[in-house]
Amino acid sequence: MFFRLLRLILVAIVAAFGQPAFDASAQAIGHGAAELIADQTKVIQDLTSKTDGLEKKLNDPDQDDAGLVDIRLQLEDISRAALTSALAFRQRLTDINNRVGVLGPPPAQGQPPEPEIVSSERSALAAEKAEINAVIAGAQNLSIRVNGLVDKIAVMRSELFRSVITKHYDLTDALSPQAFSDAHDQFTGLYKAVSSWLSFAVKFKFQAILAATLMALTLAAVLLIGGRRLFGRIFEADPTVEDPSYLSRLSVAFWSTLLPTLALGVFFASAVFFFNYYNVLRGDIGSFLNALLTVIGMVFCVNRLTNAALEPRLPNWRLIPVATGSARWLVGLTTAMALVLGLNYFLSVVNEKMGSPLSLTIARSSVATIIVGVILILMGLLRPFRAADGSWRPWPAWLRFIAIGLGLFTIAATLLGYIGLALFVSFQVVVTGTVLVTAYIGFLSARAIGEEGGFADTSVGRWLSTNSSYEDTALDQLGLVVSIAINLMIVLVFLPLILLMWGFQPGDIEAWAYKLATGVTIGSVTISFLGILSGIVVFVIGYFLTRWFQGWLDGSVMARGKVDAGVRNSIRLGVGYAGVAVAGLVGISAAGIDLSNLALVAGALSLGIGFGLQNVVSNFVSGLILLAERPFKVGDWIVAGDVSGTVRKISVRATEIETFQRQSVILPNSNLINNAVGNWTHRNKLGRVDIKVGVAYGSDVKRVHAILMDIARAHPMVLKNPEPFVLFANFGLAALEFEIRVFVADVMNGSVVQNDIRFAIFDIFEEEQIEIPSTPRAVVETKKHEAWPIDDDKIEAEFAERQRLEAEAAAERERLAKMKRRGRKPDPG
Amino acid sequence: MWKSVGAAIALLALGGSAFAASAINRDAQTRTLVVTEGGAKSELTLAAGETVEFCSNGCFVTLPNGDLEALTGSETVEISGGAARIK
Repeated sequence: MFFRLLRLILVAIVAAFGQPAFDASAQAIGHGAAELIADQTKVIQDLTSKTDGLEKKLNDPDQDDAGLVDIRLQLEDISRAALTSALAFRQRLTDINNRVGVLGPPPAQGQPPEPEIVSSERSALAAEKAEINAVIAGAQNLSIRVNGLVDKIAVMRSELFRSVITKHYDLTDALSPQAFSDAHDQFTGLYKAVSSWLSFAVKFKFQAILAATLMALTLAAVLLIGGRRLFGRIFEADPTVEDPSYLSRLSVAFWSTLLPTLALGVFFASAVFFFNYYNVLRGDIGSFLNALLTVIGMVFCVNRLTNAALEPRLPNWRLIPVATGSARWLVGLTTAMALVLGLNYFLSVVNEKMGSPLSLTIARSSVATIIVGVILILMGLLRPFRAADGSWRPWPAWLRFIAIGLGLFTIAATLLGYIGLALFVSFQVVVTGTVLVTAYIGFLSARAIGEEGGFADTSVGRWLSTNSSYEDTALDQLGLVVSIAINLMIVLVFLPLILLMWGFQPGDIEAWAYKLATGVTIGSVTISFLGILSGIVVFVIGYFLTRWFQGWLDGSVMARGKVDAGVRNSIRLGVGYAGVAVAGLVGISAAGIDLSNLALVAGALSLGIGFGLQNVVSNFVSGLILLAERPFKVGDWIVAGDVSGTVRKISVRATEIETFQRQSVILPNSNLINNAVGNWTHRNKLGRVDIKVGVAYGSDVKRVHAILMDIARAHPMVLKNPEPFVLFANFGLAALEFEIRVFVADVMNGSVVQNDIRFAIFDIFEEEQIEIPSTPRAVVETKKHEAWPIDDDKIEAEFAERQRLEAEAAAERERLAKMKRRGRKPDPG
Repeated sequence: MWKSVGAAIALLALGGSAFAASAINRDAQTRTLVVTEGGAKSELTLAAGETVEFCSNGCFVTLPNGDLEALTGSETVEISGGAARIK
């Protein structure tokens, strides 16, 4: 049974792997070169006809900017496709060239002719090659043509923008009574369209509308309520808080703008989606509704943002310290500006759909731009700050001038008839201003998080500090990383947004992003951010993998394998260095860097390295030798030259030794390799301790010897084997000198043993009345005459004496004066 | 810290030049390639033993033997004995 199953599996595997191989070979046979050529010729033909279509579209005079960008994107796709189709021939061309090479050159004049089969094959190959070259040439021509069209589109777009901006309209036509009647007609038309749609919807689609609205509302409610639940604490400004931190003010501003706007956006988007799904929208109503909802969303967002930043009701939570009245004014003015522009946009959609006369468009736009200009000037003239003395201070000069200047510019442009320009400027002021303010708030919050202790104050930081083992410094570093990430995110989100607002199309930005990712060429150097980034990411992953492997090897494998601590240290270090080196190499190759490019630099530097880094390299190699050979390990007591102490750390360049006075000495590894190093604890910790003692002449030396031997043997830390030895060392000048030599198991305990033995000798010698002589030193009493102070000292002494006398005299005078005063006092009696 | 990051990026940028296609002339005489890149045709002259980086985003190239080839921008064109090989 089992074998049958195994056989079945084997057959299945063979079938699975054999099938494609068979297919491929069949394809190779069936799909000859002729078919390849035919296929690719067809592809290029298709691409050419597509290009023809696009070129025709390009010549359409009504083409707008978005349409041009769309055409450009399609053209770029075609260019890539042409290249890909030409690439398909590479293998075949190589084969042909190889075959021609094998056939050799055709026989020259006068040489015997080659066989028929060879010459026919040569001519067949040449013919095929010519055909292939013709197809590739077609692709090349297509690519040239497409690139020419792309250049043309760039020119057309800048011309289009210029014509919109610089087009001059006659205002007197627009502001005639005719415009009012036009407007009236327009509104009647709109009213009719909407009311007829409404009656249709109520009659036939009432339930669908109800269902769609309900569903959209539910979605938005889920988002809003869920968001409130999740971010409740930081979502709303708490009026009871006296002095909220800057960070909490920022986060409240951010979330209270983002969440409601998002909820509204979801509501609108889903409403439109469901309306479309149930086929409720009819005719132009769809575009009207879209425009209306976009406008409402924009006005709402601007209003929320200004409210959040200025908080007219809660002065404590205000981000910009303006006065309360000014805050209210600012919110009102900003909202009004957004409302005017939004209405203008909505009406422009209505106008476009209903085909209204140009004069109406001009009238509407000019009114809107003038209102925006007036609002801008009002904002600039506002005096929002209250000084300490109660006077009102205006905005900073640059802001004031920009606002007033933009307002005047808009009004002037409108009055002179350049309504396109005025509209562009006022639209940019509102939208770019909103985006910039939001981005600025984001930057400020990133800065606040990046400050010392800033991250620990955030809710995430608090959660981390209670639920993890991170310390304050780690949290601080994390905060720095978070703040950098926020900055990066803001740039990534808002830069494209601002570019979009400034009339760049999504296609432009996409193309730039693509270029930036795949490589920017400056001169002959191509910088690819994606490559660099992926290299860094790969390195970081490799680094952490190494750390983890190191920890696992050290903590689980070697600790359980009872490996010696020194070996463990060596292996851990070696694995660490090797891992980082490998991660670095893999990272560099992942970044797409050809190391051979660096070979040139390395060659030039090697001479410098040879001289300048000689010591470093020698220390490095010595460190590797130390790790491999292990003449000492961490924890050993070594003596190297003048330095004696415990080895604390062996790194690649230097070794850290801690002396017994707890001084850290960093010793370059080459010293330890090139010079003699004494190690007290190399194989074992056994060591000998010598204690010298002298006894007076006349003592019983045999007795002394026996006593010393007993003392040595009696000590518990002294080893029995090798056994202690007492040496009668010398007939000294003043004493008979003995030396006790004992071995201890751990030489680190030598001092304790020495102390104990010396105390014991002293006690027992006193008991036994054996004298330890001390060499008497002669005491010579010399009569030195008193050193007379040299001149400076003398002057100083005299000066001090004079001062003292003067002070005494002054004190005396004082005393006398007091007595006098007392004497002059009227007698109380 | 920032210095080392800057140095690393500079190094990476230096090495990043490996992204373009390169042409190597191993012959003793000057060879010419005709490169069509971005809608413009240009002649790329390679002195003896010279290596040139070109064509970062795909191009067409006419080799010395008259063959027309497409490059994606990561290949190496090696000319030796008047014949070009693409690797």
